[in-house]
Amino acid sequence: MNADRYDYLDLVTTVDGSGVARIRLGGELDWETADDLTAAARSCLTADPPPRRLRLDCAGLTLCDSLGLAALLMIHRKAGETGTPLHLDNRPPLLDRLLELTGTAYLFATAEEAGGRMAAAEQAAATRPAPPPPPSS
Amino acid sequence: MESCEGPPRSAQGLMSSVGASWLRAPYPAMVVDTAGTVVEANARAAALFPGAVRGARLADAAPDWLVRGHRSTGPGAARRAGPAGPVRGRHGTRTLEAHPTPGEGGHTVWWLVDDTDRSQAQAALRSEQERTAFLADASSRLLASLNTERCMEVTVGMAAEHLADAAVLVAPGAGRRHPLAVAAGGTVTHRTARIDPSAVPGLAEALQGFPPVPSRWIDPAALPDWAVPEALTGPVGSVAVTPLPGHGVPAGALILLRRGDHAAFDASEEVFARIFAARAGIALSAARLYTEQSGITATLMAELLPPALRQVHGVEYAGGYRASKETERVGGDFYDVHPGAGPDDETLAVLGDVCGKGLQAAVLTGKIRNTLQALLPLADDHGRLLCLLNGALLSSHHTRFATLVLASVRRSGGVTHLRLTSAGHPAPLILRQDGTVEEADTSGTLVGALPDLRSTTAHVDLQPGETCLLYTDGVTEARGGPLGDVMWGDERLRDTLAECADMPAEAVVEHIQLAAATWTGDHRQDDVAVMAITAPRTTHLTAVDGHTRGRYTA
Repeated sequence: MNADRYDYLDLVTTVDGSGVARIRLGGELDWETADDLTAAARSCLTADPPPRRLRLDCAGLTLCDSLGLAALLMIHRKAGETGTPLHLDNRPPLLDRLLELTGTAYLFATAEEAGGRMAAAEQAAATRPAPPPPPSS
Repeated sequence: MESCEGPPRSAQGLMSSVGASWLRAPYPAMVVDTAGTVVEANARAAALFPGAVRGARLADAAPDWLVRGHRSTGPGAARRAGPAGPVRGRHGTRTLEAHPTPGEGGHTVWWLVDDTDRSQAQAALRSEQERTAFLADASSRLLASLNTERCMEVTVGMAAEHLADAAVLVAPGAGRRHPLAVAAGGTVTHRTARIDPSAVPGLAEALQGFPPVPSRWIDPAALPDWAVPEALTGPVGSVAVTPLPGHGVPAGALILLRRGDHAAFDASEEVFARIFAARAGIALSAARLYTEQSGITATLMAELLPPALRQVHGVEYAGGYRASKETERVGGDFYDVHPGAGPDDETLAVLGDVCGKGLQAAVLTGKIRNTLQALLPLADDHGRLLCLLNGALLSSHHTRFATLVLASVRRSGGVTHLRLTSAGHPAPLILRQDGTVEEADTSGTLVGALPDLRSTTAHVDLQPGETCLLYTDGVTEARGGPLGDVMWGDERLRDTLAECADMPAEAVVEHIQLAAATWTGDHRQDDVAVMAITAPRTTHLTAVDGHTRGRYTA
């Protein structure tokens, strides 16, 4: 871990011509910085016009604690309310592991999986939801 | 004044040389010769000193201070001590300043200036400066402590020292018992007494926050014994009762007592006492609020601290909890053991981790523990239990969640059966007799943030001496090592657990905690909770019918 980035979260928000909003995360997403991310995402989602998609680029994330995950869940909830598809791109292993462990990975489909997962989700919604796979150890 | 120093040699000449203007000067003026006889006085001086007629002795006509002042301005005196300066003194209700100027033939011309107003203003300024300094001192001393008793001590101590001879502070009490602080003769005492506030005029009103009654309404002879400190020598001469206004609610009342030989409280002193009381009241009220809040926190904390675990129905439980330094004693990690009704009933053990830290996490922890307690009868179906818990925790305002592990434990003969369900939590580790460590095959969704919940339950059997370890990620994520930046990690936890084969539950917990704490050293760390469920190596007591307590030794 780089000491300069300790307790620090970089947020860069961009909206491209096609109406896709991106938030690039860099640093630590923890109890001190989680609210900043929630606020940034909220202002994206409540923009006029609303974004077609919201993509969180997690490549620069060095830490995500439980409040960081709570922020991601809140953004997921808000995106669901506005009907904006939400993607977590370039997840580092630490984030993947956290999402698997807490059984929340299915909420955040990556771009490649989006199509398949969505179809699966629709199918699953019709029947009984299947339990998630056990976390990789 | 230069006009006094003219060439004429007599008083008559002086007058003729200065002319009538001298007599019409706006200040009283008189000419006194070296023998102390009044030579001339103008109309204003005559009005001031009716006896100061020509030829009268100054000593008969003027106050002593002026006579003394005149003697010191004599020719001899002037040579000894140089020109004399003005002298000041009182004349009746006035304060006068007398300026001597040398006149012809050794006469002295006294110009008198009435500076009553100035000296009164100076006295008032001095008194205000003293009061301001006192109030500043009072504020800093009162606010230095958030201890109610200390605040009461400072209040009565300062009041007895600066405002009166003795002071009694009556704090609002429960029923008729009121805490009292009494200061007199340099000592401060505390007591709680059953008193009747209506026995002191104005006290009952002051305790309710009404403005004080004027002190002259209070008859000192009618004061009850408790309101007159023993250390106060002599009879009480005057009494003032002042409310101590707090934040919204009265913080008490202050009774000020002065001895009979001292001046009674005047209006300005009563106002000043109220200003002092306002500061004391705010400090007291802050101290009381703090005391109440810390009491509430302590009560809540006591309820939230993890329980001491023990052996339940032939199975050993041990828990260890270490709150992070940032959150102090209570944080987001918790564990509980709910014993089954009988030896054949399952005991539910829970270990969890609530998102966040501090008070908010503690409140959510309390909610989860209470809800789980209420849901105990449904513990035979972990999935359903978690769904109900999830529903109880869901909030539209936040996505604070909890991850937890449920363990339903039942011992049957030598084997301990476990049903383990993880809700978004690290899966429990199973330590076998031979030192191998397995991970329980359970996983699930966290609770409290999502409408849907999924979970799988693992069934695990423990042979005597085997342990199931539940832990929060504070253990594996404890940072340490040479630079303090390496996580302890799953592997180190497993390796450490492997060393614990055949240990009792308590020893397993201590071993894990010690190893993790050694790794972390002084570095920042999160809350850490571990719980060991161990099937003890015990002998089955065949003599007992198998349905009573104590079927197992150990």
